[in-house]
Amino acid sequence: MAIQDTSRPEAPSTTGPRSVSRRDILKGMAVVAGAAALPTILVACSSTPTTAPGGGGGGGAVTGTVTVGSNHSDPGELKGMQAINAAFMAANPGSKVVMNTVDHGTFQNQISAYLQGTPEDDFTWFSGYRMRFFASKGLATPIDDVWAKVKSNYTAGFATSVTGDDGKVYGIPVDYYPWCVFYRKSLFAAKGYTIPKTWDDLKALCTKMQSDGLIPIAFGDKDGWPAMGTFDILNLRLNGYQFHVDLMTGKQKWTDPKVTTVFQKWAEIMPFHDTTYAGLTWQKAADTLVQQKSGMYFLGLFMTSEFQATENPADLADVDFFPWPTLGTQYDSEAALDAPIDIWMVTSKSATLQADMDTAKAYMDFWSKGSTQLLMFQNQPGLIPAASDTDTSTYSDLQKKAASIVGAAQKITQFLDRDSRPDFAGADGMQGFLQKFLANPTQDTTGLQKQIQDFWDALPPATV
Amino acid sequence: MTASVIAGRPNRRRIRKGRVALHAFLITMSVVWLWPLAWALLNALRPLSDTIKNGSWSWPTTLNLNNFINGFQQANLGYYYLNTLIVVVPAVLIVLLVASLVAFALTRVRSRVNLFLLLMFTAGNLLPPQVIIVPLYYIFNWIPLPSAVADNGRLYDQYIGIILIHVVFQMGFCIFVLSNYMRTLPKELNEAALVDGASLFRTFRSVILPLCAPALAALGTLEFTFIYNDFFWALLLMKTGSKRPITSALNNLQGQFFTDQNVLAAVALMVAVPTIIVYIALQRHFIRGLTLGSTKG
Repeated sequence: MAIQDTSRPEAPSTTGPRSVSRRDILKGMAVVAGAAALPTILVACSSTPTTAPGGGGGGGAVTGTVTVGSNHSDPGELKGMQAINAAFMAANPGSKVVMNTVDHGTFQNQISAYLQGTPEDDFTWFSGYRMRFFASKGLATPIDDVWAKVKSNYTAGFATSVTGDDGKVYGIPVDYYPWCVFYRKSLFAAKGYTIPKTWDDLKALCTKMQSDGLIPIAFGDKDGWPAMGTFDILNLRLNGYQFHVDLMTGKQKWTDPKVTTVFQKWAEIMPFHDTTYAGLTWQKAADTLVQQKSGMYFLGLFMTSEFQATENPADLADVDFFPWPTLGTQYDSEAALDAPIDIWMVTSKSATLQADMDTAKAYMDFWSKGSTQLLMFQNQPGLIPAASDTDTSTYSDLQKKAASIVGAAQKITQFLDRDSRPDFAGADGMQGFLQKFLANPTQDTTGLQKQIQDFWDALPPATV
Repeated sequence: MTASVIAGRPNRRRIRKGRVALHAFLITMSVVWLWPLAWALLNALRPLSDTIKNGSWSWPTTLNLNNFINGFQQANLGYYYLNTLIVVVPAVLIVLLVASLVAFALTRVRSRVNLFLLLMFTAGNLLPPQVIIVPLYYIFNWIPLPSAVADNGRLYDQYIGIILIHVVFQMGFCIFVLSNYMRTLPKELNEAALVDGASLFRTFRSVILPLCAPALAALGTLEFTFIYNDFFWALLLMKTGSKRPITSALNNLQGQFFTDQNVLAAVALMVAVPTIIVYIALQRHFIRGLTLGSTKG
């Protein structure tokens, strides 16, 4: 009762109009999805046998138009998109790519309304639960015919990440970035630090760094999501991949003692984190590593862009990273880590989709090639192409290492907010709960875990 | 001498104390207001690499206009200024014209429904737009338009749709202000016009409207700022990124992960410029319009 009282008033104030609207739209979608599901199934049934012999694009050149919705609004990524579209049109004389670029944050906030309204034929999105969610609503077109031709270019982990609840394939993986512990080589060499392999190594190193006047672990959680990375990796090392997946999808309870152990382990290293984390964005936290005020930083590979922005090549060359230390459990051998995968998908409600289908699928096929992904990657070094046939000779040392760490991982997860429902992972959900934990890490987390589970239980049904 | 000084002091001191307190208050307030702006300007003038190496709270080592130049190109500002003007100029003109017509009818023509209508418009003004976004989204998707007007055949994702929704939502406020203003104009003006044989429309156009110029200028300034700063409607009712207004250009500068805050600060300052220009241009009318009627009676 008391728990409900504390959590309820918070929901409206932190939710704001945007979340309310999104939820309302989701509710409205239940009706729309019912109507949309039928035509989608019919299309899938009729088009699969007819397009299979024809090739559906990829094999032969296509001449139609395809409209694409892109969230690649960063200058570098936009340049990459333009190069890829030009390459597609050159490879398919007579074809045309019409691109609509919307900035990343807006694109993500509006995805529900976008997919139900008048979307483009193809669109950029994320793999994992976020893909399966919209696929199960009938808002995406399955592309098993394309996948059958290109799947040899992907490892098994990628195949799983683009398979929907119904067993059909809905996306083409294009890039990913692993979460690792970053450090400055020069600092480690100067102070004689060695890379920690185990949990005890890590804590010993942290203690040493602290005595040297450094912040052992840089941390910035102003935006709420960076803390999820730490939760994920501790959960993966302590409880394994399957528990992570089941917990994110509601098959396991947040009140489970296994979750308690994650918080307890986290509390052990929390004193080594930057104490000003609550007001720092990830970029400001990364700056402490640049300025050699902190020793280590656990974040995604995109972190290196802050070192690139110093305009001093020596800074970028000085960055290195290692996978999160082992915790002495049976799951250490999984070497699992968060490596979110970005994908391309085909919408279902685009007004032009039926006319453009061959070109839309050929565009997906085109994206599955390493040569295409490399065009994007050249302009966005924080991401790694997903296709196996990518020419790795142009990779930097950082990218080669990242690829090898992900290759060594037996299990790859997407990230807490990509593996779970958006309304659960958001600011009024897990982001807020984790911030509550961080404010007082040594607390008895039983009450907090119950709050999280109650929040999950109170969410409207996700699947209709 | 000492006696006179002592005698004179208390009085003078009281005045001084009051003035000192007032000025201290005014200076504090202006510093509080200008501080973020000054900070944004300072960061806009220094390269990001400088901020990363030395932190945001350091004195800059280099100052230049590179962020403004790069930001202008990167955000494609010229293009987005135009996008916004396509929406703002017609929207402000239409809303002022229609609102003045309605206000005229409500205040200068006797009718039983006047009060009811005025209440409706004023009450509608209090309705938060967020409440109706879901039905509005579907309505905009359903309303068909001839292909000559809209390339996608709907009201959704069209400039005309955004202009319309601004007109509708700003109408209540404008009618409220204008009808209050028109009420302060003497009735005799109408009667004189009537005696001179002017039609109702003629009375509106030649007698009342010119007298409303200060109020219209003040409203025009406000409406320009309101609509210029809007991000909400364009975000909701437009899906084409390249059609969206200038406020979305700022979002385009924020990457999935990495954001150059200094370029963002420079562009944000540039985006604010047109509203300041409009304010300065109409400033005289703006202040007059706000205080007009306050001396009445």
